[in-house]
Amino acid sequence: MTSDKTPTVKAPKDPYRWSALGFIAPGVLFVAVLLYLPLLWTTFLSLTEYNGLGDPEWVGVENYVEMFDDPQFLGSVFNTLLWVVGTLLVPVGIGLGVALLTWNLAGGSWLRLPFLIPYALSGIGVAVIWSFILGGDGALDQALAAFGIVDTPRWLVDAPLNTVVMILATAWQGVGVNALLFTIGLQSIPKEPLEAARMDGATGLRLFRSILWPMLRPLTAVVVGLSIVASLKTFDIVQGMTKGGPGRESETLALTMYKETFVNSEYGLGSAIAVFLTVVTLAAAILYLREQLSRKHEA
Amino acid sequence: MSRVIRTGVLIVLGLIWLLPVYLLLINAAKAPETFTTAESWRPTDFSLFGNIAEAMRLSGLGESVASTLLYAVVSPAIAVLIGSAAGFAIVALRLRHGFAWFVAIFGGTVFPLQMILLPMFDAYSRTGLFDTRTGMVIVYTAISVPFSAFVMRNFFTGIAHNVFEAAVLDGASTLRIFTRVYLPMASSALVAIFILQATFIWNDFLLGLTLSQSDTVRPIVTSLAGMQSTYGGAQMSTVLAGGLLVSLPTVVLFLCTQKFFARGLALGQY
Repeated sequence: MTSDKTPTVKAPKDPYRWSALGFIAPGVLFVAVLLYLPLLWTTFLSLTEYNGLGDPEWVGVENYVEMFDDPQFLGSVFNTLLWVVGTLLVPVGIGLGVALLTWNLAGGSWLRLPFLIPYALSGIGVAVIWSFILGGDGALDQALAAFGIVDTPRWLVDAPLNTVVMILATAWQGVGVNALLFTIGLQSIPKEPLEAARMDGATGLRLFRSILWPMLRPLTAVVVGLSIVASLKTFDIVQGMTKGGPGRESETLALTMYKETFVNSEYGLGSAIAVFLTVVTLAAAILYLREQLSRKHEA
Repeated sequence: MSRVIRTGVLIVLGLIWLLPVYLLLINAAKAPETFTTAESWRPTDFSLFGNIAEAMRLSGLGESVASTLLYAVVSPAIAVLIGSAAGFAIVALRLRHGFAWFVAIFGGTVFPLQMILLPMFDAYSRTGLFDTRTGMVIVYTAISVPFSAFVMRNFFTGIAHNVFEAAVLDGASTLRIFTRVYLPMASSALVAIFILQATFIWNDFLLGLTLSQSDTVRPIVTSLAGMQSTYGGAQMSTVLAGGLLVSLPTVVLFLCTQKFFARGLALGQY
């Protein structure tokens, strides 16, 4: 931000100070009152015992201690980890694959289209479609039966299989946007080093490893960061497909937080889970924020 | 890899990707009487419009359409204006400690919504904003502001500062420079942010679930989720028709505005 320091014409000192504050005030106000204030309140509540009646009672870190002793919470942490790893492997991986396959290919943008259609669906929309496909004797079971496979698992009931199939449903939705992002990245790779590598006879995997992958790395950091952050917050699709069940076996952290807070009225515990989720999310966000902000400085 | 193989692989993969869409379309079109879970892969009859009409009636989906449209249009519009004003203050007016203000506003977007759910629910219940359209517009605006400010600040950074100085020499006020010079120049970025945020709001489930209740206020995706858990067993084709109805606007919007979308994503992520 060197621009802040370059003096303009010798004008009166900072003539636009008040006007600038006026322009930024609405944004700051909205964010402060509706995002930061609740954030602080949740952090405070995580250190209290509270069920919405009376006043919050200070208990220190008790909720956190209780949380890490709770098998339910640990199960949610495990499921959430599955989500993080699964959504990295499948939608990001296939997305990169689709981008590479369509790269410099005639009709590439048309071939990408089928992957982009599901992208703008809501999580619940995806859940409605896939619940129908994966339900007992649903479309998938019928298709498998046509091939003589009748002894199928109960896709949405058997844990942790249900988490895996929900990750695949999410992958169905997420491949398109990752393909789109990687395509933008591939298109921005300068032509000269590519040509040089091709002249040296690099093709396929070697071309990818020696040229494409290093060039795509900054973008990959962003895509991976975004994917991790989004998967940590997984809520809609699980709520729509299994409601966290059977029992509470497929709950993610976001779901556990919601249930402890709004179903069990354990405000303190629910807030502690929210804080935990936030700390993990922030750690992951640093991955891509660093990239975003450092690129800004170069610009 | 040869072009033929690449194209072949993509076509096969693409067809697999379209299968769920096919299943949705043919099964959403089956009348509740003819629909059986036993034959999902074959189209039987075409009662799509009847199913959609029925879906609109069930679970207040029809009433949700109007309010969701309101949220998805008004909130991003306000947020885009607020975000542009913030970007204008930081870049054109060179607000002191501008970068710190920028980080403060953008920081609002990096933590999960779970951190605000309970206090918002609590505060909305106390102030009478719970289950009101005003309350929903306010919260959707708030969560859209950080991204708008982020993109607009980056966009305005690309405009030479002498554009501002020239306008000052012409005697224009800062408000006039903002509305007559900077906003028009940014129209493509404004549209990109608007489309992204409108899609996000249309697809929201969690805030609707937490902060609303009645059919007239509840956003459409939340209504769809309610419909799925109530009628998912007995009237599957109606629920699928509901899913189709809810999904169509954002899918069509996205496919028609892919360029803007990609641009918005690119503006937001680099």
